[in-house]
Order: sequence, then structure tokens, then C-alpha cells
Amino acid sequence: MPTELVATGLVKSYDGRRVVNELDLSARPGAVLGLLGPNGAGKTTTLRMLYGLIEPDAGEILYGGASLAAQRTEIRRTIGVCTQQDTLDYDFSVAQNLRVYASYFRPKVDDIDARVEELITRFGLTAYANASPRTLSGGYKQRLLIARSMIHRPNVLFLDEPTTGLDPSARVEVWELIDAMRTEGLAVVLTTHYMEEAERLSDDLLVLSEGKAIASGAPKDILGRMLGDHVVVVRGDAPERARVEAWAGEQGHRTTRVLGELRMPVSREGLAAFTASFETLPFSVRDPNLDDLFLVLARGAHAAPASETKRLEATS
Amino acid sequence: MNELVQAFDWRSRAVLFRNALVYLRNWKTAFFPPAMEPVVFFVALGLGLSGVVGELQYGERTITYAAFVAPGLLAYTGFTTPFYEALYGSYVRMFYQKTWDGILVTQVELPHVVWGEILWAGLRGAMNAAVVAITLGVLHAIGMVELEWTWLPVLPLLAMVAGWAFGAAGLIFTGLVPSIDHMNYPTFLVGWPLSLVSNTIFPVPTHIPAIRFVMELNPIYHLAELCRSLLLLGRPAHVLPLFVSTAVLLVVAAFVDLRVLRRRVIG
Repeated sequence: MPTELVATGLVKSYDGRRVVNELDLSARPGAVLGLLGPNGAGKTTTLRMLYGLIEPDAGEILYGGASLAAQRTEIRRTIGVCTQQDTLDYDFSVAQNLRVYASYFRPKVDDIDARVEELITRFGLTAYANASPRTLSGGYKQRLLIARSMIHRPNVLFLDEPTTGLDPSARVEVWELIDAMRTEGLAVVLTTHYMEEAERLSDDLLVLSEGKAIASGAPKDILGRMLGDHVVVVRGDAPERARVEAWAGEQGHRTTRVLGELRMPVSREGLAAFTASFETLPFSVRDPNLDDLFLVLARGAHAAPASETKRLEATS
Repeated sequence: MNELVQAFDWRSRAVLFRNALVYLRNWKTAFFPPAMEPVVFFVALGLGLSGVVGELQYGERTITYAAFVAPGLLAYTGFTTPFYEALYGSYVRMFYQKTWDGILVTQVELPHVVWGEILWAGLRGAMNAAVVAITLGVLHAIGMVELEWTWLPVLPLLAMVAGWAFGAAGLIFTGLVPSIDHMNYPTFLVGWPLSLVSNTIFPVPTHIPAIRFVMELNPIYHLAELCRSLLLLGRPAHVLPLFVSTAVLLVVAAFVDLRVLRRRVIG
């Protein structure tokens, strides 16, 4: 049964410091909500509140209209969680991992033998069903972790950085599994450090910085709002780079450096002004991506709120 | 009160069941070495020192030192097995294997994990005590020690009940020690002294009031004396003190467990 997750006004503090601050979010069935933000932005704390491991200091979490605080046990029966760290039970085989995990849920999983078989087949684990998880590669361990989080047929699935440490091939395989879950109607909440992953998988994106949501919506809309229409890239050995930085400061454009290369998100009008100011400077222009946004958040002493960004762009 | 009720929840049993399953998979390595420890103790101390110590007076009976030690080893096992299971076994599951982290994102919550570990510690104590009881039965059968053997089947059950409290006490340190290396403190400053100085392998001078007072609070002492009175005199003694001291230790330790482990595991 499809379940919508709605959280409002979430607050969590540790040692007097607000880690999550008045956060609102929602995840709908058949869609992936991506939580994006640099380390310390509050992603994992938010996730832990949403799946009920820790309680928020304030705010409300509703699943299908029912309060998590009031119907904790019943709601947790409908939630699947794939944690960031490897929590596989190495005392058991691959198939036993699924079977034992099912014992942590009531009502009991219907026809557990068939369910284990189904997940083992679907996640490509048939050859390893009776082997120890120790024999699995990183990609297959991740498959098992995700399969295990689905053993009880949840409606909402939390994936905390599910592809961290995987090679590109294994990562794409996990993407395909997540995409299939979305197609089946699960509401998926995903945190990731990989911008390409967030961009490709997320139907909705929530950008966090210092525990606050600084942007939400479809990835392309967020990029437009937060960064503008283009990114100007100036090579590290460009003769006028210092003048470009000074110009960017005057115009209110934020810049980031990657291996000496200068990147500057700008609006259409900003690009026109830049071109007029630096007619002889060699530079390239491309579309903004989540990498740019992430770098601005992580390095740029954190991005200005969307409203401020718009104001900055308006002045450029 | 609600935290105590969680002990009877299906989720606590699910954790117990998981640990039991793992144990059954590795029972040859998990069972025999620790179960043999009290047997070795009996041979080395009971039989080895019996001739040196001579005879002792216990109730209306004059007994050998081997007969004194035999029931004490049941209490020794009933304490050490759950205490060290909660210390080391639970710590490994919590810290190294991340087993708890995997379980805590299901319907099972921290109080159930804690109670599951306590119940499992008690069950392990009962299993090892059963091995000791069987060994004592064999020694009785071949005439090496004279016991009221019909009471032997009861003793693992007593060990299990007391073992819940000892397991809960061990879990406190699991929640407190910074690393597994620091387990030396509870092992050598708590486990060893308590297991040996509780009327298990030598009579504690309970005529000294201060010692008497401490012993009255000590469930190991009462367990040892109950085992001894059943196996040597054929009648129970220290039943009420055992159950009261066990209940007090269990409730207090479980209360502390839940708080120190919540801080450690969930933050």
C-alpha cells in the first residue's frame, strides 16, 4: 500500500548545537527523494529521525497520515533501512541473513521461503545464497544490504549512501535496482555524496546546509535557482585570473577553484556581462551540475539561501 | 516499569533467538572450552587440594574439600559464563560486528536488544552449568564425590535466573568501556574477585560483620550456598536471599544498561 512520508518542523540538537533546524520534507510513492549536502549538513541525523532511530526535539513525522511518535511499532513495520555502514550478519550465510532479518518484524513476513528466494534471484545473489557474506565483493554486499532492507516488503525505503565505495559498474547496478524500486511504487529516500547519482536518481532533491533546507525541488530547477544558467570555467594559467576573481567579487558571483581552474556560476545576464568585460580571455561555458552546487556549499562558506541567490543574480 | 516489561516482548526473544542460532552453528567451539573450565577447576582444586585441606564441617555433615568445591563450581559457572558473555560477546556484537546497528533499524528497539542480550547471557549460563552438573553427576557415580544428585537437574535453572542478573551487570561495562582492551578492568577487578570470593572455592569468613553484610548483597554467594545445601544436605537454603538479591541486581543493572547503552549506541 503506497505510503507518503511527510515531516514538518524537524529539529535536533546535540550539545546545544542545532544539527537539524526546522526541516520540512516529503517523499511520495514511486519517487526518489535525494538528500544532498556536504558532511555535517544533517543528512544522516535527518534520516535517523525519519526511520525512528532517534527522536526529534521538535517537529512531526507522518507516514500515510499516521504519526511515527504515536504508532512507532506499526510504522516501522512498513519502513526499510539500508544503513551507510556494513551491518551484515557475518555469522550467517547470505540466505540466512535475509531469513534472520525477517524475524525482526511482526506481522511475520508471508511465505518467507519464497520471499528469500525471490530477493536472492532478483538481486543476482543465487550463486552465493549459501556462502558467507565475507566472500562477496563490495557491490554484492551492497546488493545484499538492500535486499535485506526489503525482506518485509516495506513501503518506504531509506538508503544512506548506498553506493559509497563501489566501483562504477557496481554503482550503476545499484542505480538500476533503485530505479526498479521506484517503478514498483516505493517511496525512496536517498542520501549520497555522488552528484551524478543524485541527479540521475532523484525525482525530488532537498539540499541541506548546516541542518537547514536551502533548496528543494527537481534537480534542474534547484540548479537554476541556486547557481544560475551557466558555469564559466577559466583555466588556471589564464593571465587575467586575478582580475576575473576581483570582478566576480564586485558582481556578487561566487567562485570555486578545482585544481587551479576557476568556476563561476552565472545567470544569462551575468554571462553577457562577463563576456563584455573579458573579450580576449579564453574561457569555456557549460551547464551547471550538482558538483558545482556541492562545491559551493562545501567550500564557499556555504551558499546563500535561494532568495539571496536570486538577489545576487539580479544584481549581476 | 515499561522498560522491564520489554523483557517479555517478542522482539527481545528475536534477539535471543538470533544469538542462540549463531551459537548452535558454532557450538563445538563455543561450548566445550568454557564448559571445561570448571571441570579443570574441580580436578585441580577439589581433587588436588582435598588431601591438603582435610575435612570440613558443613551443616550436620563432615565433608571433603572436593565436596565443598563441587557445588561452588556450579555457582562459579553460573556467574562467569553470563558475566563474560555480556562483557565480551555483547561488546563484539555491538562494536565490531555492528549486529546491533543492523537490528535497530527494524521493529526491534534498544530495550529489546538489551533484554535479548540479558536473556541470552542467562541461557548460556544455564547451558554451561548443565555441563558442570553432568560432570558432577559422573563424579558422584564413580564415587569421587558424594552428592544429593537428584537436585542436579534443578541447578542449571537456578543458574539461568541468576545469570540474567549477572549478564545485566556485565552489560554495564559493555556500555562504559572505551575499547575492548579496557575489559581488563571489569574482568580482573570485578569478575575474578567476585567469582572466587563468594564461597565458591573457599569458605568466606562470614562471622566478620562487614564481610557478612557484603555477602548478603551478593547473589553469587547465595547461589553457591543454595547449590551447596541442595547437593550436600538435600535441602534448600538461601532461596529468598538469592531471589531478592538477584532481582535487585537485575532491575538496577538493567536500568543502568539501558541508559549507558542508549548513550553509546544511539547517542
